[in-house]
Amino acid sequence: MNFIESFKIALTSLASNKMRSLLTMLGIIIGVGAVIALQSIGEGVVASSMARLTANGTNLISITPGSTSSGGVATSTTAATLTLEDAEAMADTTRITAAQAVAPELQTGGQLVYGSVNTVGRGVGTTTAYPQVRDLTIAEGDWFQDTDYNQSTTVVVLGATVASTLFPADDPINKTIKINRINFTVVGVLAAKGGNGFGSVDSQVYMPITTVQKKLAGNRQQGLSGTGKTVSDIVAKADKPDDVDLLISQITDLLRERHKISGTQSDDFTVVNQQDLLQTAKDQAATYTIFLLVIASISLFVGGIGIMNIMLVTVTERTREIGIRKAIGAKPFDILIQFMIESISICLVGGLIGVVLGVISSLIVNATVPSLPTQLSVSVIVIAVAFAVAVGLFFGIYPARRASRLNPIDALRYD
Amino acid sequence: MIKVTDVTKTYWMGEVEVNALRGVTFEVHDGEMVAIMGPSGSGKSTLMNILGVLDQPSTGSYTIDDEEVARMSESQMAEIRNRKIGFVFQSFNLLPRLTALGNVELPMLYSGMFSRAERYERAASALESVGLGDRLDHKPKELSGGQQQRVAIARSLVNDPTIILADEPTGALDTHSTEEVLGIFQRLNYEDGITVIFVTHEQDVADHCRRIVRIRDGLIESDRPVLSQRWVYQPMLNSGELGLVKG
Ligand SMILES: Nc1ncnc2c1ncn2[C@@H]1O[C@H](COP(=O)(O)OP(=O)(O)OP(=O)(O)O)[C@@H](O)[C@H]1O
Ligand SMILES: [Mg+2]
Repeated sequence: MNFIESFKIALTSLASNKMRSLLTMLGIIIGVGAVIALQSIGEGVVASSMARLTANGTNLISITPGSTSSGGVATSTTAATLTLEDAEAMADTTRITAAQAVAPELQTGGQLVYGSVNTVGRGVGTTTAYPQVRDLTIAEGDWFQDTDYNQSTTVVVLGATVASTLFPADDPINKTIKINRINFTVVGVLAAKGGNGFGSVDSQVYMPITTVQKKLAGNRQQGLSGTGKTVSDIVAKADKPDDVDLLISQITDLLRERHKISGTQSDDFTVVNQQDLLQTAKDQAATYTIFLLVIASISLFVGGIGIMNIMLVTVTERTREIGIRKAIGAKPFDILIQFMIESISICLVGGLIGVVLGVISSLIVNATVPSLPTQLSVSVIVIAVAFAVAVGLFFGIYPARRASRLNPIDALRYD
Repeated sequence: MIKVTDVTKTYWMGEVEVNALRGVTFEVHDGEMVAIMGPSGSGKSTLMNILGVLDQPSTGSYTIDDEEVARMSESQMAEIRNRKIGFVFQSFNLLPRLTALGNVELPMLYSGMFSRAERYERAASALESVGLGDRLDHKPKELSGGQQQRVAIARSLVNDPTIILADEPTGALDTHSTEEVLGIFQRLNYEDGITVIFVTHEQDVADHCRRIVRIRDGLIESDRPVLSQRWVYQPMLNSGELGLVKG
């Protein structure tokens, strides 16, 4: 008995009972479809967050107020323990030798208005070192100057998206926009850096930190070290990737000294480096994959039980056919193969339908939800289908063996 | 040659034992044509199923060409059913979803000896030899009872068996179809030397054989030659044709 013939027999018998076949396949279809769709979304999210993290530069570290931490991420940023003076102290190159540049960030929400156009953007108060720390490129005009910083002038640099939203036609340079009803002069526009979402550099605006402190944020709570004004966080860039660890220890020492934290007391700030964040993202991706595998296994298992059930029914219904086949010379193995191929075909067809549905859903998500880029993976598709086939093999064995062991004369008498 | 020695068959219906065969001994030589007769419930079907290797005796020995069936594996038995024996049932037992051609090709699929083209060729010529050359693509339900039985006969002989066993092959057929079937059996027996053994309740049908074995209560009651064999098949008049003359 050859395989192609058996496969044909299997397909005709599936086709002869379409509704039942479809219901039987449902578990497999959903299992395979879900795996492919979810995996493509997960992969896409991970890939884009990795891209964002590496775009920031792996030399980058950031210091946030508050103590650590789970997985390298500060759990609380409400403590106001970092000040502008801390940032200035870090800029001392005799003390912090491993830093290429250091800049504080003070964040503020803002309503941005130009003429009749109106948008919401995140404002970041910082210093002139910021473009170097963040690897920002100026497309038009200039970054603000040290004098702006010293005099708290109301100047602003726009992220690319903000610029194109507020100034669809005009040249933004030297125009005046209102940020929270205060007039700011646009001095520069950044080149687009890509990445999406609210935190992207393209959708932020940048001002001298002193201006933000005085005009926008109001005076924050005094830092622990006394006179200074607090900042949201401080970012620093190491000279080279190998210096990241050195930079972290230099900064930690400096801040502990400044904040008067002795020996065993724990830090009142948290240092996060991009590599840790990358690692966290990778760990999350791994967790997600395991989670996905569990879901897939459960749904394929359930699907498999459905298939075993329907195959047992099929074997019973077709007892007479089995008897006839045996009477004219089918060996137990021939019958076994016939029913195995049938259950495998159900799973294969179900798996292929699942692939189609999974791919379509992934493409739909990709097209309709911009924040969820999806990435289909051929190897996942192949593995999912292979798994479906394995389910057919595994859950088909018992019914097929039962069919193959029927006594011909008992089978012929059955009706 | 097939040889049955002291064969018994006991069925258990819960606590009750039913002795369907109670010690049957007989031989059938190659090329014989034998009818088995007997009242209902006497054990004819039980015996035929054992002869056809569809079932095994409870005790006793059954050999085909000196090979003991009881010692064979399931696969070897399947091979015997496939190559040596053609079995024809009273209820035809065709697969309803396959065409006449598909049904007749089936034993060749399991023997695996023929290519696709050969299978088609052989199945078509087997159907032609039973007068169904123009019904190849009909499903069983699109055929009359007599035609279905002839499809079943074509299926039984497509692998060139040496023995054809038929359990009441004409039981569900009218006189005309019965004659057609008997004509085919006589031709297969006469021209190809195939051993034919069939069960029937009717004396006229049995008279088409050369030997009649009578069974009663699971035992052989008599085993006699037919003195005046009736012929449907006319070898002298029209050999090569279907071999039928109108009754
Ligand atoms: N599977 C079975 N289980 C129990 N008893 C059975 C079974 N098959 C047959 N018998 C019994 O064995 C005896 C012989 O049955 P068998 O079918 O061989 O008779 P038969 O001669 O073919 O009858 P008929 O002419 O009606 O076809 C009967 O008494 C029957 O009831
Ligand atoms: Mg009977």
